[in-house]
Amino acid sequence: MLYFRGCTAREKQTEIQDATERLLKLAGVDYHILDDEKCCGSVLLRTGFVKEAQNQIEENTKVLKGEKILTSCAGCYKTLKEDYEGLDVMHISQLLNDLVNDNKINLKKSDMNVTYHDSCHLARHCNVFEEPRNVIESVANLVEMENIRENSLCCGAGGGVKSAYPQIADEMAKSRLSQAKQTKCEILITACPFCKRNLENDELEVLDLTEFLMKYGGVDETE
Amino acid sequence: MKPSELETMRKSFNTVKERSSSIKDIPSIKRLTSRVQEIKKYSFDNKDELFNQALESFKRNDIEVKFAETSDDALHIIDDLLEEYDAKVIAKAKSNTLGEIGLKEHLNINIIETDLGDRILQLKKVDNKPVHPTGPASHLSVSEIAGIVNESLGVDVGPEPKEIMEVVRSDVLKRLESAGVGISGANAIAAEEGSLVMVHNEGNISIVSLKDLHIIVAGIDKIVPSLEDAISVVKLETTFATGNFVTSYMNVISGPSKTADIEKKLLKNMYGAERVVVILLDNGRSEAIEECLYCIGCGNCIVHCPVYNAVGNEFGFNNYLGGRGVAMSKFIEDDETCFNSGLYMCTLCGLCTLNCPLSIPTNEILENMRKLSTDVGFYPKAHGNIMENVRKNNSPY
Repeated sequence: MLYFRGCTAREKQTEIQDATERLLKLAGVDYHILDDEKCCGSVLLRTGFVKEAQNQIEENTKVLKGEKILTSCAGCYKTLKEDYEGLDVMHISQLLNDLVNDNKINLKKSDMNVTYHDSCHLARHCNVFEEPRNVIESVANLVEMENIRENSLCCGAGGGVKSAYPQIADEMAKSRLSQAKQTKCEILITACPFCKRNLENDELEVLDLTEFLMKYGGVDETE
Repeated sequence: MKPSELETMRKSFNTVKERSSSIKDIPSIKRLTSRVQEIKKYSFDNKDELFNQALESFKRNDIEVKFAETSDDALHIIDDLLEEYDAKVIAKAKSNTLGEIGLKEHLNINIIETDLGDRILQLKKVDNKPVHPTGPASHLSVSEIAGIVNESLGVDVGPEPKEIMEVVRSDVLKRLESAGVGISGANAIAAEEGSLVMVHNEGNISIVSLKDLHIIVAGIDKIVPSLEDAISVVKLETTFATGNFVTSYMNVISGPSKTADIEKKLLKNMYGAERVVVILLDNGRSEAIEECLYCIGCGNCIVHCPVYNAVGNEFGFNNYLGGRGVAMSKFIEDDETCFNSGLYMCTLCGLCTLNCPLSIPTNEILENMRKLSTDVGFYPKAHGNIMENVRKNNSPY
């Protein structure tokens, strides 16, 4: 399996790459990464640079074709699945769900209350709703926000808004965080590095699904 | 918009959401929704035939009809009519299309808004763009509104909705005593019957339509095959805009006021308008993307749009608010206007489409428009830098 880290988990939210690799090792997944991994082109496609995105797609397709691809990033997942042709791609939340169901990872459930933010790319756009929830519920109590699944509120980062209009992205993150706080959860979980990046704040701990499992799932790496 | 206005707007939107979400999923409204989807698709596919049929039907009904290719054309037609009637004051109903052509900015005469929300915004004078197609002043609190009314009308009302309404109503009626011309839009046009359907709760459109001359400006996208279709469209609009099945009033105008009660001789202008003039406006619509023209103006997209909830009417074009308004601005105006209206403010999240009764794929439309916009050089500088980073380093960072 090829673990396609994505630019955010590879360069900015490296804790996500770290947690993901530790989980893969723990579950005995045979995987490799690319030393010269290239941007999938998602940011270019969403901001209108289609010609430039096409270059990324062509270059990446040469390397990715024929591989079983795993992504951390909901944006990479959508792009590799919908904007590329003929790739076999899955999101980490789907793989984790399989691993949990097949008892490949031993997790311990606590009575911690957590909530989950559906990323637009993963949920509304690609219909991945259940898998991350199943994984979370094997470890903690999931308390849902007012807007969930296909009705989930966008965190504010997508579509190039975070770079072009950071104040709008911040304002939207505040709305989403206020919904999260209303659940009285202890942790807000996402399955998208870019959502995590936008939602991070000083009051409520925000973790990627992989980090959450590593930190609170009771995993034993010495086994 | 000020933070307090955004806060009030979000509260108003939550009320609308609660009301509309309780009825939009019931079986009869679901059937109505799919019926209107078919109607709008059929109307687009047969737009030329329906346009010609509407022209014929209007003529048969003694409604004068004029075609305006641009805003300027529409304004010239209106100028000529107002000159003919020597109009000093005109009664105006709420209309996004009249906002689109910039009627108020263009005319030097006294235009009186008859819709309470619009009248409040008119009295506010500055920074007075509407925030919702049917609830234009949903961002203003009752005390802010009292302040606006007191300052502009030289009165002293308290922050009491009823008191405010009564003061504004009597002032509007007094000002309209001498008005001989009313102007409005239309919510839907029935081609077969040559009828114009208008929905309202205040009764104000009735006032406008009872003036000697009633001018109606409507986009060519408002034309549907029949009166039943037009009623379906406005009912769905009402449901999604307000959460109610119907408005208090639904005016169907199919000709000037007339009687033949004396020896069967036709007389005009019994109570209502002696003359009805319809201006059918293109203004970029014939170049617009099909799905953009499905819009029935309910505003449910902006009520659910997280960007709109964060920034308000800065995201949108003129009276066309939110992402779909941004898309229309390209056709009504140009690429630069589209950029400035917020082409890149959209996070492409897709909540608008999910909540649109016509499922207009606004995020896809905007994503495609960005390609065309970057081609002609209108894109945020930050995105240009990111593109360069990817090109040089294979990473946006």
